[in-house]
Amino acid sequence: MELFRQTNIDFLKYKWWAIGLSWALIALGLFAVFVQKGLKFGIDFSGGTAIAIRLAERPDIDKMRGILDGAGLGEIGIQRYEETEKNSVLIRVQQQAEGRDVTTEVLRVLRQGLQAETDPNKIDINTEGRATLGARLAAADPDSVAGKPDVNPADYYAQAAERVIDRRSELGLFRSPADVDSVADVSDAVKAWIKANTVTGPFVLLSAENVGPQVGADLQKKALQAIIWSTVGMLVYIAFRFRSIPFGVGAIVALVHDTLITIGLLALLGRELNLVVVAALLTLIGYSVNDTVVVYDRVRENLKTPKKEPLEVVVNRSINQTLSRTILTAGATFLVVVALYFLGGEVLNTFALTLIIGILIGTYSSIYVAAAIVVIWNDFKKRRKLAVVPAPAKVEPPPAQPVAPQGKKKQKGR
Amino acid sequence: MGKKLRWRVLLIVLVIVGAVAGYVFTGYQHAKKEWTGPGGPTLRDALKKAIKLGLDLRGGIHLVLQVNTADAVKAERDDAAETLEREAKDAGLGPLELPTDFSFAVAVTPQTDQARLEDVAKRFLPDWTYSTGGGKWTFTPKDASRRVIEDNAVAQAVETIRNRVDEFGVAEPLIARQGKDRILVQLPGIDDPKRVKDLIKNTAFLELSLVESGPSTEEALKAQFSGDQHKIVEAKTVAGTRERTFYAVKRQAVITGRDLKNARPSQGQFGSHSVSFFLTAAGSQKFGTATGANIGKQLAIILDNRVQSAPNIKDRITEQGVIEGSFTAEEANDLALVLRAGALPAGLTYLEERTVGPSLGLDSIKKGITASVVGAILVFVAIALYYRRAGWNAIFALILNALFLAAAMALFEATLTLPGIAGFILTIGMAVDSNVLVFERIREELRAGRAPKAAIENGFSKAWSTIIDTHATVVISALFLLQFGTGPVKGFAVTLIIGLLISMFTAVFVSHTVFELEYGRRQHIDTVSI
Repeated sequence: MELFRQTNIDFLKYKWWAIGLSWALIALGLFAVFVQKGLKFGIDFSGGTAIAIRLAERPDIDKMRGILDGAGLGEIGIQRYEETEKNSVLIRVQQQAEGRDVTTEVLRVLRQGLQAETDPNKIDINTEGRATLGARLAAADPDSVAGKPDVNPADYYAQAAERVIDRRSELGLFRSPADVDSVADVSDAVKAWIKANTVTGPFVLLSAENVGPQVGADLQKKALQAIIWSTVGMLVYIAFRFRSIPFGVGAIVALVHDTLITIGLLALLGRELNLVVVAALLTLIGYSVNDTVVVYDRVRENLKTPKKEPLEVVVNRSINQTLSRTILTAGATFLVVVALYFLGGEVLNTFALTLIIGILIGTYSSIYVAAAIVVIWNDFKKRRKLAVVPAPAKVEPPPAQPVAPQGKKKQKGR
Repeated sequence: MGKKLRWRVLLIVLVIVGAVAGYVFTGYQHAKKEWTGPGGPTLRDALKKAIKLGLDLRGGIHLVLQVNTADAVKAERDDAAETLEREAKDAGLGPLELPTDFSFAVAVTPQTDQARLEDVAKRFLPDWTYSTGGGKWTFTPKDASRRVIEDNAVAQAVETIRNRVDEFGVAEPLIARQGKDRILVQLPGIDDPKRVKDLIKNTAFLELSLVESGPSTEEALKAQFSGDQHKIVEAKTVAGTRERTFYAVKRQAVITGRDLKNARPSQGQFGSHSVSFFLTAAGSQKFGTATGANIGKQLAIILDNRVQSAPNIKDRITEQGVIEGSFTAEEANDLALVLRAGALPAGLTYLEERTVGPSLGLDSIKKGITASVVGAILVFVAIALYYRRAGWNAIFALILNALFLAAAMALFEATLTLPGIAGFILTIGMAVDSNVLVFERIREELRAGRAPKAAIENGFSKAWSTIIDTHATVVISALFLLQFGTGPVKGFAVTLIIGLLISMFTAVFVSHTVFELEYGRRQHIDTVSI
């Protein structure tokens, strides 16, 4: 199958339209950022607390907000995971005074508020961990293993507790004490003890993150540095590889263009910037330059032919020659990130979205920004009676064969 | 088959065997370490355990703590002030002033023997500089010695936390110093974050001091005891009451946590939980003297500046005592544990805390794997449709890429995180690029009328420099990622870098060899299925 057999599309004819489109996209992103009064940072960068819990049924957000408003924690954001898991919520709490264990406080308040009866003597089997459950079991010793030779009660009950907790993870959470019966490889006596001495609380803790202001500021700085330095790294690589100012400028402008538009569109879609998104942005930086380099490599190769042709024609031909590869590679990577977007869960969702946007923009920009800039630069120079042709690079592909003719028919038989 | 080709095939087979063996072997090693039951781990266990999982997949707790090193400097300051007072008694010193910040000052009077004071300062406080004037001598720690104090405090805090965590029984904990005054603690598999946080942060500063008066109200005690010799300490509130009570105790403690040899949980009179402690030889001596001289008086047991209990001294006590408070079983257990493990030299602040519950980790693995498998199948189908037989060559290269990546992660003990899984699958998507570059070149060559064999050779050699370029760009940006961020993001960068390096081998070397195996033997080939 071939989708792009020897295309001959005049891409560069539309270069000014494309530049208009790019500016429009950038403006759209800036507008979104402006409307939100700055970028939306996740707690990695802004500091604060984020707690994800899973409930037995679809959560009543208003009720939860009512419960937590009484806790004196300032503004609280509660959000359902609409796309990935309907029974889970994410609770965001602002930065609190130092020394306050916000996670524990939120969970306690919420548990008391959501559960009608709480027996202080019973532990909550949905929120307690295996260590506590194991210790309680060992103290109660329902299987009467204490004193038996070659049985260590602590280990014995730690294993039982582990099985119970693993089962809880499989089920999502214990909805009623009867769910304990479904735990495999645990004695009936242990199950009976658990049912009599624990309550099944309203939720399980999925994750809790608490980032202090110092760490948030640190991570912000580091993220910015990583982005700037990898851009510089790319600049150095391109400069070394192509030894030509317009090529270097084209690649870097394309890279900055991709990053800006992606961040802007993420803001427009209401996504937060966090560590994982920055990881996606850095991958995108690599991808963007990668895509540009393939086109540039071909332009450089085509420029080596003795034939004198206008640069625009050469660049256009190079884009057409690499079009099949560009679309196919972008397509393959795209398939993968789309799979991640729909199936990868909450953490990878924004990561995948960033790359989806990035791949689309990156593919477009290697043609309409990176290649177009080289042509525009050249036109500009020509008007000043200076032709610009990149110096031949020092790093050559291993010439196994004499230079073969290109895929274009008109070159045949040269 | 040419001789050269035979060696290449042999090399590929060896690498495949090595990768599989390495993966399984590492898996067995890991599984055996964790194995508790009878028998041994099965192949299934080995396959599951070969790659180390990050906290976000295993569940666990990640903490970054800051050591408040100022505490340690202040403690040193108090010690120095005490030393000066003791050693320079005969110099006719004025009263010690209440210390400010890291300095302390002693008042001098016309009667003070300043030469004697200078002698004491030089002999006993070599780490301190002093300035005179304003009717007092002010002592400040030297910069170098202050740095040593701070440094030691952090090192000691790391050790103390390690002891405590060890006693808690965590498999593979990571406790490491980060920068000047930060400590990173990672505890995989822990799902009791509150308990662990309390346990680590518990300064467990134990003091036993003689009670001057109490229990009483704060105002009453303040009116009576205002001097430097006493301090007023709040008592632990009794469950069910809101009343706050206070004790006035001697500032100088009889013994502190440093005099402890051992501690263990014990059962009190009415089945309540308490903690028994045992003193060192020096501690026993001090305790014996103090209790012997104060029979009938109250002794306050103060933990982290809260009076736990204030029993009457009935007899001279030397070696052991009991801390009674209304503890739960876990609290008594953990208190004994921290007393045993030693007190922290300084307070701790939590800068960052990330807990992943066990169910989220399990979910993430499931979702990550589903997304990867679906993504890979989509890519394979697209490639097979687009390139027909050559597509199978690419798919073979991609599968080897995944296999080698998994083996490399296992052998290098790299940690797989959730973003790492994304990196894994992204590698597959990007590694296709090398195959695509080559295949498109071959197609061009064929179109230009080259013979199939030459077209294949040209395709590989011409795509080579572009393949280097495309890999270099992504690896460069991934290297910057490595410098940044926490575990999960690093895991992503590691996976991506290893995966891309491997793809240079699979997409070029392996793929080329497969082409040669397919077409190289025949003298005349009319078509290449690509």
